Amino acid sequence: MKDQNEIAVSFSHVSMQFPGVLANDDISLDIRRGEIFALVGENGAGKSTLMNLLYGIHTPTSGEITVQGEKITQFSPKNAIAHGVGMVHQHFMLVPSFTVAQNIVMRQEPRKLGLFFDNRAAEDITRQLVAEYGLQVEPSAVVQEISVGLQQRVEILKAFYRGADILILDEPTAVLTPQETDELFDVIRRIVAEKNMTVIIITHKLGEVMAISHRVGVMRKGKLVGVEETAHVTQRQLASMMVGRPVLFDQLARTGTRGAVQIAVEDLTVQNDRGLRAVNGLSLQVHAGEVLGIAAIEGNGQSELLEAIAGMRPVTGGSICICGQNAVGRTPGEIRAMGLAHIPEDRLATGVSKDASVQDNLLVGKHMLPEFNRFGFHQDTRAIAQYSQQIYDSFDIRGSGIDMRVGDMSGGNMQKVVVAREFSFDTPVLLISQPTRGVDVGAMAFFHSRIIEKRNSGCAILLVSADLDEVFRLSDRIITLYEGEITGEFDPSAISKEEIGYYMTGSRSGKELAHEEA
Amino acid sequence: MKKRKLIHWDYLLALAISVLLAFAIGAVILAVSGHHPGTAYLAMFQGAFSNARHFGDVLEYAMVLCLCGLACVLGARVGIFNVGGEGQLLLGAIAAAQVGVWLSGVTAWVTIPLAALAAIATGALYALIPGVLKVKVKVNEVITTIMLNTIAASLCQYLAKGPWNSASKTIVAGTEQLSAQHWFGGLIPGSSLSTAIFAAAIMAFLIWYVMQKTSKGFEMKLTGQNPRFARFSGIKTDRLVITCMAISGAICGLVGMFRVYGAEHMYKSSVSNDYYFEGLMVAMIAQYQPVPVMLLSLFFAVLKIGAQGMELSAGVPNQIYLIIQTIIIFCMAAQSGISASLRAKTGKRKASAAEGGKDNG
Amino acid sequence: MGEILKSIFSVGTLNQMLRSATPVALAAIGGSMTEHAGIMNIGMDGMILMGAFFGALGSYLFGSAAAGLAMVLLMGILVGLFFALFVVKLHSDEFIIGCALNTFALGLTTYLSRSIFGSAGTKGNPALPKLHLPLLDKIPIVGEVLNNHSIFVYLTLIFVIIMWLYVYKTPQGFWLRASGEKPETLRTAGISPEKMKWIASILCGIFCALAGAHLSLGQLNGTFAENMVNSRGYIAFACVIFAAANPAKAYLAALMFGFFDAIGLRLQKHVSPELTGMIPYIITIVMMVYVVVRSQKKKRTKAQQKA
Repeated sequence: MKDQNEIAVSFSHVSMQFPGVLANDDISLDIRRGEIFALVGENGAGKSTLMNLLYGIHTPTSGEITVQGEKITQFSPKNAIAHGVGMVHQHFMLVPSFTVAQNIVMRQEPRKLGLFFDNRAAEDITRQLVAEYGLQVEPSAVVQEISVGLQQRVEILKAFYRGADILILDEPTAVLTPQETDELFDVIRRIVAEKNMTVIIITHKLGEVMAISHRVGVMRKGKLVGVEETAHVTQRQLASMMVGRPVLFDQLARTGTRGAVQIAVEDLTVQNDRGLRAVNGLSLQVHAGEVLGIAAIEGNGQSELLEAIAGMRPVTGGSICICGQNAVGRTPGEIRAMGLAHIPEDRLATGVSKDASVQDNLLVGKHMLPEFNRFGFHQDTRAIAQYSQQIYDSFDIRGSGIDMRVGDMSGGNMQKVVVAREFSFDTPVLLISQPTRGVDVGAMAFFHSRIIEKRNSGCAILLVSADLDEVFRLSDRIITLYEGEITGEFDPSAISKEEIGYYMTGSRSGKELAHEEA
Repeated sequence: MKKRKLIHWDYLLALAISVLLAFAIGAVILAVSGHHPGTAYLAMFQGAFSNARHFGDVLEYAMVLCLCGLACVLGARVGIFNVGGEGQLLLGAIAAAQVGVWLSGVTAWVTIPLAALAAIATGALYALIPGVLKVKVKVNEVITTIMLNTIAASLCQYLAKGPWNSASKTIVAGTEQLSAQHWFGGLIPGSSLSTAIFAAAIMAFLIWYVMQKTSKGFEMKLTGQNPRFARFSGIKTDRLVITCMAISGAICGLVGMFRVYGAEHMYKSSVSNDYYFEGLMVAMIAQYQPVPVMLLSLFFAVLKIGAQGMELSAGVPNQIYLIIQTIIIFCMAAQSGISASLRAKTGKRKASAAEGGKDNG
Repeated sequence: MGEILKSIFSVGTLNQMLRSATPVALAAIGGSMTEHAGIMNIGMDGMILMGAFFGALGSYLFGSAAAGLAMVLLMGILVGLFFALFVVKLHSDEFIIGCALNTFALGLTTYLSRSIFGSAGTKGNPALPKLHLPLLDKIPIVGEVLNNHSIFVYLTLIFVIIMWLYVYKTPQGFWLRASGEKPETLRTAGISPEKMKWIASILCGIFCALAGAHLSLGQLNGTFAENMVNSRGYIAFACVIFAAANPAKAYLAALMFGFFDAIGLRLQKHVSPELTGMIPYIITIVMMVYVVVRSQKKKRTKAQQKA
C-alpha cells in the first residue's frame, strides 16, 4: 500500500534559462502521491515551462527532477511517459482526422500479424478505458467532429492508456463551460481517490484552485513564491502572491449616454470554414456609446459573427447595417470606410504582418491618405515616420523603436500595435475580439481603460472575449450565444457568472437536449 | 529613420561563400568528368569578355534574366509564384513576330507598338489564367503555370511549324523573318545586344520604383507577407494579386518580343531556352529583392555566355552553368538553415518561452 | 472520323495507357508519401530525371540492366536524403529547393550525358526485359492489354497495394500521416515527426528514381535523352493532389493521364503531334480545378445536410 505522504515528483533547485529569460529560477518543490496540486501564476510566470521540464519537452539548465524516486537523466517525452508522467496540453495533441481510438493508442498500437494496425482492438481498448475511468467518448468518432470537451476526455484517456499516474493538466478549463468544468473536476476527484494518482493543474483561475486542489504553488517571474495548503489560504492572498502586490482594478468610469443604433444585424446566417452554419438567424443592435459583450464558449459562432460584420466572411442570409449603410456583400475595405475598425481575435494571423516593421503595421489603412503620399502615389517616408512615432509614443508601445519587426515583439506590445492602429481610425463602430489574450495584468488594465474611453466618447463597441470577467467588467449589456443563436440578454450587474454559464450552454432556451447529445 | 540598410553584409557574405563553394564543387564535377577545371574556368572567363561581341551577348542575356527575374519578383511580392513565365515569353514572342510578319510593309512607328501590344496582351492574358484560378478558385499556381508552359511551347511549335511557318524551307519550325526596317538597332555588331536594352532599363526602373517607393508597392508587400491581414486592413488583395500576375505576364511577353525584334528577327525555338527559369533562379538567389536581381543578372549572364564560349573552345558542356547556379541556391539555403538552427538554440527557446507565456493566458 | 475513333478505342491505346501511366504512377506513389508528411514536393521532376540518367549510366558502365537498377535505387536514396536534408533538417523553403532540385537535375544529367555519351546520346544499353506471362495470352483483349510490358508496369501495381497498406493500415502509416497533419502529436508521444519526414523523403526519392528507370531502362532500350522526363514529375504532383495523397487513387489519376497521353499518340496520325501532345497537360489543369471545386461543393452539400 502506498503511503499518503510518498513523494511522486520532486524538483530540486531546478532552473531553466532561455536566452534573455530566466523562465524557472531555482525551484524546489515536492508533490505528493494522491494529491491534486494546483500551480498558479500570471502569464509568463514559468508554470508551463516547469511542467514542460517534467514532461521532458525541455532539459533544465540546472537542478534535478526526481519522479517516483528515480532521478531523470534523459529529458524526452518518451522517457517521461516511461516514468508514468502524462500531460494534457492546453492545445490538444490530437490528430484531427483520426478517430478517438486511433489517437488514444498512438505509439502503443495493438497489431495484427505484428505488422498491421488493429483498429478493432484499438476500439476495444478505448471502450475498456471509458468504462474504467468513467469518461464517456465514442471510440470510432473522428476527433475533428467532436466537441472540445470530448476532445479533452480523449487527451486524458490517452494519458491513462500510456500508463500515466502523474497527470499534468495545462489550463484544462480554458475551453469549458462552468458546467463542463464541474464535471471534469468530479472525474478528477474520483480518479485521484480511487487510483491514488497525482494530478497537477496549471491554471490562473483562483476559484478553481479553491474548488479542487489540496495544495497550491504560486509562481511569479520564474520563482516559486509559496506553497500552501489550499484550505489555509484565501483567493485574495493568492492573488497578491501572484502579482507581488495587492491587485487593484480601478473602477471604470462610465459617462455619456446611449445614442443611435450603429450596428444593426438582422436574421444573420453565416457558415464556418467547414461549411457548417455557425451563425443561425441572429439579430442584434449596438448603440453609440455602449459596449455589447458576447459571452460564449469558443466555437459557438462569435468569431464568425464578427468576421461577417467586418466583411471577412461571406454572409449566407440576413442583413448587416453599419452606421445606416448596408454592409452585406461589401469588401473589408468598403466596410471600414463606412466607419468600422476591428481588433481581431487572432492577432498573428489577422492583426499584424509580423515580418513588417511597427511603422508599416501602424500605417496600414491610412497609407493611401494624401498626407502620407506625394503626388498621390509616392510614399512620404518622413511624414509616415513622424506619424508612427507619435502613435508609438502615445500608446506606450515598448520595443526597440518603430523599425522593430513586429514578429519580434512580446504579445502585449504586439496587441498594443493592433489596438493603437485600430483606435487611430477614430471610427464610430468598433469590433473588439479577445482584447487581452496573452497580455499581462498591467497591460490588461491599460486596454480596459482605453476601451471604456472609446465607449465614453460615443463609440458603438461589440466585444467578444473568452474571459468572462472581462466581459462583465467592460459590457453595458451582455448577450449569450450558443450554437450561433442568442440565448439571452442581460444587464451584467443583475446576473452572476454561474447564471450566464447556463445560458452559454443553451440550457435555458429549450436546448437542453442538444447539449446532452454533444 | 526607416529600416533602410544599403548593404546587407550578412547576405553578401553568404552569397560570396556560396559562389566560391559552387565554383569549387563545379571544379570537382569538371575534374571527375575529365575536364581540367582551370582551363574550363579560364575558357569561361574568356568566353564572356574576350571580345566586344561576347560582351554584347552578356548584356543582352543580362537584360533577359533581369526582366524575367523581376517578373518573378513581382508575383512573389504579392505571394503568387509565376513559374509560367516561359510560356508567356514564348507566346508573346510568337504573337509579336507574327504581327511583324503581317505588317511587314508598314512603317515601324505602327508595327512596333502594335507588336508590343500583342506581346503584352498575350503574355498578360496567359498569366491571367493561373492568376484567376489561384485567386478565385484557389488552385495551386505552381502546377498550373508549369502545365501552361508545356502547352504554350507545344502551341508555339505547332504555329511555327504549321500555319505561321516560314515559306523558306531553311528552318523547320519558325516564322517568316521580320522586315529589316522593324529590327531593333544593334548596339554592338555581331552580338544580340539591341536598343531593346534601353526599354528594358526603363521597365526595370519602373518596377523597382513601384515596388519600393509607392503606396501600391506598400500594399503589395503587405499582401505578400500576410494576405489575410492585408485584406482585413482594407487592401483589395484579390485584384492586386491578379493585376501583378498580369503585369508579370506582360513583362515576360515583352521579353519575348525583345528577343524576336532585337536578336532573332523571327520566331524560332531559340527565342528562349528555359530562360525564364534561369531568371527565376536569379530571383530566388536575390531573395526576391529587385536591386540584387539586377546585379545578379549581370553576374549570371557572364557565367552563361562564358559557359557557352567554354563549350565551343574547351568542349565542356555549358550546363555546368546550371549546376553552378543551383549549387549557389543550395549553399545559400544551407547557410540560412544552419544559422537558423544555431539561432534556434536561442530563438526557438525564446519562442517557446513566449508561447509558454501565451499558453498561460 | 470512324477510323479515328477506332484507333482511339483500341487495345493499343490501353496498352499505351499502361506504359504512359507507369512512370507518373510510380512518382505519384512517392509523392503521396511526402504529401502525407506535410512536404510540398515539387522536386519530383528532378528526382525522376536523376533516376532515368543514372539507370542508363549504370547500365552503360557495368553492361547490365540490373547494375543500372542498383544505381537507380542508390541515387533514389541519395536524392531523397539530399531533399530531406534541406527541407526537414535545415527548414529551407520547399518551393525553392524543389525548383532548384529540378534545375540541378536537368543541368547535371545533361552535362554528364554530354560529357560521357557525347551529344548524340547513348546508343543502347542493356535494358530491363519485358515480361511475358503466357497465362495472360489465354484471355482475349485483357491479355493483349496487360501482357508484354516492362517489369515496372507490374511492379507499380504491387507497390500501389503495398504503399496503400503502409499508409492506411500500419502503425507507421498512422505516424506518417500524423507527422504531416499534426507533428506535435507525435513528438509528445515520443516519436520524432522529423524521422517520419526523412523516411517519406527517402521513399519518394526511391519511387521517383524508379519512375525514371522505367523511362530509360524500361522503355527505350536503356537510352537516356536530355530532359526526357518532360514535366511528368509535375503531373505526378497533380495526381497526388487530385488523390488527396492516397496511393491507390493517385494510381487511378495516373492511369487517366496515361489514357489521354495514349489518345494523343493515337491521334498523331490525324492531327499535329504538337497539338495532341498538349492534351495530358490540359487535362491536368482541368483535374486540378475539378479537385478544388469538388471539395468546395462537398462543403456546401455537407452544410445543407446539417441545416
